Amino acid sequence: MTARISTAGQHYRSLNALLNAQSQLARTQQQIASGKRVLTPADDPIGATRIQDLARQLSASDQYLANNDVARSRLSLEEQALADVSTAITRIRELLVQGSTDTVDYESRQMIRLEIEGRTQEILDIANRKDAQGEYLFSGLATLTQPFARVAGVVTYFGDQSQRMQQVGETQRVADGDSGAEVFGRIDEGNGTFVTGAAAANTGSGSVSVGSLVDRAAWTGQSYTVQFTSATDWQVVDSAVPTPNVVSTGTYKSGDAILFGGVSVAISGAPAAGDSFTVRPSGATDLFSSLDRLVSTFATRTDTPAAKGQWRTAVDGSLEQLDQAFDRILEMRSSVGVRLNMLDVAQSAQEDAALNFETLISDVRDLDYAEAVTRLNVQYTGLQAAQKAIANVGQLSLFDYL
Amino acid sequence: MADLLSTAVSALQTYRRGLDTTSHNIANVGTTGYSRQRIETVTREAMPYGNGWVGTGVDVSTVRRVYDEFVTMQARSSTTSYEEQAAYASLAERINNLYASSTTGLSATLQKFSNALQSVANAPSSSSARQVMLSEANTLAAQMNSYATTLNGIASELNQRVTSGVNEVNSLATAIADLNDKIVVAQNRTGQPPNDLLDQRDVLLDELSAKVAVTTLRQDDGSINVFIGTGQPLVLGRQASKLVIGPDEFDASRLQVSMQTTSGAVDVTKSLTGGEIGGLLQFRDGMLEGARNSLGQLAVGIASLVNEQQAQGMDLHGQMGKALFAVGGVETLRSANNTGTGSLSVTRADATKLTTSNYRLELAAGTWSLRNADTGAAVPMTGSGTAADPFVADGLEIVVPAGAVDGDEFQIRPTQNAAIGMKVLFTDPSSLAAAVPVIASTASANTGSGRLGELSVVDATNPALRTTASIVFSSPTSYSIDGGPAQTYVPGQPIVANGWSLMLEGTPAAGDTFGVKDNSTGVGDNRNFLTLADRLGKPYLDDGKTSLSGAIGRVVADVGVQTRQAQVSRDALAAVQQDAIAAKDSVSGVNLDEEAANLIRYQQAYQAAAQVVQVANETFNTLLGAIAR
Repeated sequence: MTARISTAGQHYRSLNALLNAQSQLARTQQQIASGKRVLTPADDPIGATRIQDLARQLSASDQYLANNDVARSRLSLEEQALADVSTAITRIRELLVQGSTDTVDYESRQMIRLEIEGRTQEILDIANRKDAQGEYLFSGLATLTQPFARVAGVVTYFGDQSQRMQQVGETQRVADGDSGAEVFGRIDEGNGTFVTGAAAANTGSGSVSVGSLVDRAAWTGQSYTVQFTSATDWQVVDSAVPTPNVVSTGTYKSGDAILFGGVSVAISGAPAAGDSFTVRPSGATDLFSSLDRLVSTFATRTDTPAAKGQWRTAVDGSLEQLDQAFDRILEMRSSVGVRLNMLDVAQSAQEDAALNFETLISDVRDLDYAEAVTRLNVQYTGLQAAQKAIANVGQLSLFDYL
Repeated sequence: MADLLSTAVSALQTYRRGLDTTSHNIANVGTTGYSRQRIETVTREAMPYGNGWVGTGVDVSTVRRVYDEFVTMQARSSTTSYEEQAAYASLAERINNLYASSTTGLSATLQKFSNALQSVANAPSSSSARQVMLSEANTLAAQMNSYATTLNGIASELNQRVTSGVNEVNSLATAIADLNDKIVVAQNRTGQPPNDLLDQRDVLLDELSAKVAVTTLRQDDGSINVFIGTGQPLVLGRQASKLVIGPDEFDASRLQVSMQTTSGAVDVTKSLTGGEIGGLLQFRDGMLEGARNSLGQLAVGIASLVNEQQAQGMDLHGQMGKALFAVGGVETLRSANNTGTGSLSVTRADATKLTTSNYRLELAAGTWSLRNADTGAAVPMTGSGTAADPFVADGLEIVVPAGAVDGDEFQIRPTQNAAIGMKVLFTDPSSLAAAVPVIASTASANTGSGRLGELSVVDATNPALRTTASIVFSSPTSYSIDGGPAQTYVPGQPIVANGWSLMLEGTPAAGDTFGVKDNSTGVGDNRNFLTLADRLGKPYLDDGKTSLSGAIGRVVADVGVQTRQAQVSRDALAAVQQDAIAAKDSVSGVNLDEEAANLIRYQQAYQAAAQVVQVANETFNTLLGAIAR
């Protein structure tokens, strides 16, 4: 026996089928209209969480790219500033070499001195440059404090020694600058190991070279004095207290290297008996005081043999000092270059990641249109059929034949 | 003597009854709950003759309701199950829609806040970046508020629906009791079942079981007893009980349902299952409570992480940073039955240890004990509960009232109120503490390879934090701070003093000096916000196991899974219910074609009986004519 079907039940059954078909159709329509497969978390709880997570990472990636731009713009400005400083130092070195030949007379040297002064001021101005936001490039974290200013004639640093980092990847940070102390300060004196000098009381015209370290193992880091016992004999004493030890003696020949304690220095000219020259371990200096010293050296007259000897020692020292500063700037430029390169790598990594996130989000969230449109057609046909069924079945009644 | 005429008349009456019943069926084809009726016919008692028994016609024994108790009960219980899930799913979908958007959802808003934070880190002295971050902070707080408001709105709507549901249950119970009365009277008077009244009562029972699960017990007199919950009688014969809505013992805004009995009101809230009311209550105690608490936990987590980091930093005014976010406090609710005095004080001590649970604190035999309000599991506490030594449990510090007496109970909701009370505490963008308050330096005369590593604040409350300190190395492994006692330097270990911690790289030489000083000129410092941005993505909640975005993901997944479950079981139960109703309909429902056939059948029988009357008449006339002739 087949089940009976009540007239109302038959109607409700068809109606339910119709309503179901309608709601499925509406859902597909909504998906097609929005282009999304996952409309609410309930549609795909795992997918929805994943979409949110991916969207968050995508947004983070965009921020890393923005951070990258900020770091790049500051580093590019620093790179430009360092290039300008290099140019200025190169020019000063040329002037120094030009002005240090004996054929240049005092008046011409003053002209050169004026240009060196101008160039020094130029470097000072570069050191006080600001970025687009009005922050100083070289004052560390004290970005609104002017880093360098002359106080009683001496250029003083007012910034701090820190670097600001920028987050350019989830775990990657890049410093967006260097402090003025790092770039212009803490430059080694002399040749980096020791500094030579002529005693102020010297009466001969002897001058001492910047020297070099020939035997690192023998260098003990103490100070030495080369003393002329006569115009032709020298002895080297160490800094032992109270009685210095004589570590070496010799006969003077102008320009010959004098070797002791791993050090090689050459003394030229005609030192007088009682003259002495010093060798002491390097300390730190900064670019501006080196330049100021050079300017004052150039302002000195060299009328006496003694003055000439002092002057020659100072000029040789300044030249070495400039080269040290130039090396530092080169070092900083290459450090900045490395960082810019890191930024490039980080940028392309983040761009790839962002693209990847977008693809993944689209995979999880977006609708397969071909599938959806096919589904829409099937559901549309289903709905039509359900409507037809209601209309047709409703017409069948035994009462029509009574 | 068998009487042709009376036999025919009995048939006429019977088929007339048949036509009436068919007509009644046709008339009620659209009536909800109507069961088709049939006449039951029996032969009249036959007359004995010498040559056998001769029939005397037909009688209607009863008008029967075509009804199957079993399928009716099945349809009813499937309705109860379906309505429960439908109510649950409809509210779950509301929460689900709240968490739907991936572009404006909580996760996106938190990330925008984090991005704005990094933009401040890009240019700490830029007031526009700071302004943007403040407004993102406000957006975050506003979104938390709006989510919490929506959830609270769902809670109060739920209260209304429970209230109106209970009112409907009461009026249905009264109507059923009335019908019981009428049915008993009608059945007593005629001895026949009052079919239409029975149908009406069944409809009411159907409606009742859509509201709440019921069990029924049929009585011999035709009345029916109805029980709800764990057997509380809602209708006994012609007596209906009343359900009343009252405030919860702890929380007046939370409703409880109790039944008025002769022995007083009995709380039946926990035992009301099934139907719309059951679904609503289940949703309230399950998903809604969970959603509110986890949103609150998130709000507390965000606020405490950001505030902690703010407190370690320095703002543009050179001041130590102040809290950016405030959130709603811990809710402590005392039982209405408490006889002790004084109030409970609960504060959040460690946001990372907070859970999404509520708690029940009770004093029994002089001992306080804490239980998880949802699972009932005991939660261990340390401390003694005094202000000096509070109880500590699950990130909470609890100070119990001195005036409490045995039997006093409190409910603690650590996070539920947090999100609705979330707000931004200052409007001055300069107050965002992007900088670290101290800065380190290296003496230019240093000869060793020691370089400055990370300098961080470990104790922002140390009064000496920002005083200038100088670290002088007397050897590569020994240093003293500000001429203090010599301390051993271990490479790779930070130097900690005055509330800061400084890492050094390389090896310092004897005589090397490092300084730490106040960083009030460090307007370009972003170190504190770099740390904050980093921490926002790191595990923090759940004792340092879940990141904030992870917690959001978990909330979204939970909501999605629960909603999907509710939808799937609602849809499955809808099919079950439709089948059960169809099964019931196939027994009791009216089929018009069938009625048309019956109409023809009864009409033909009626016409035939009328012919018999005609024959009887002619037979009689024939007889009369024979005599008259």
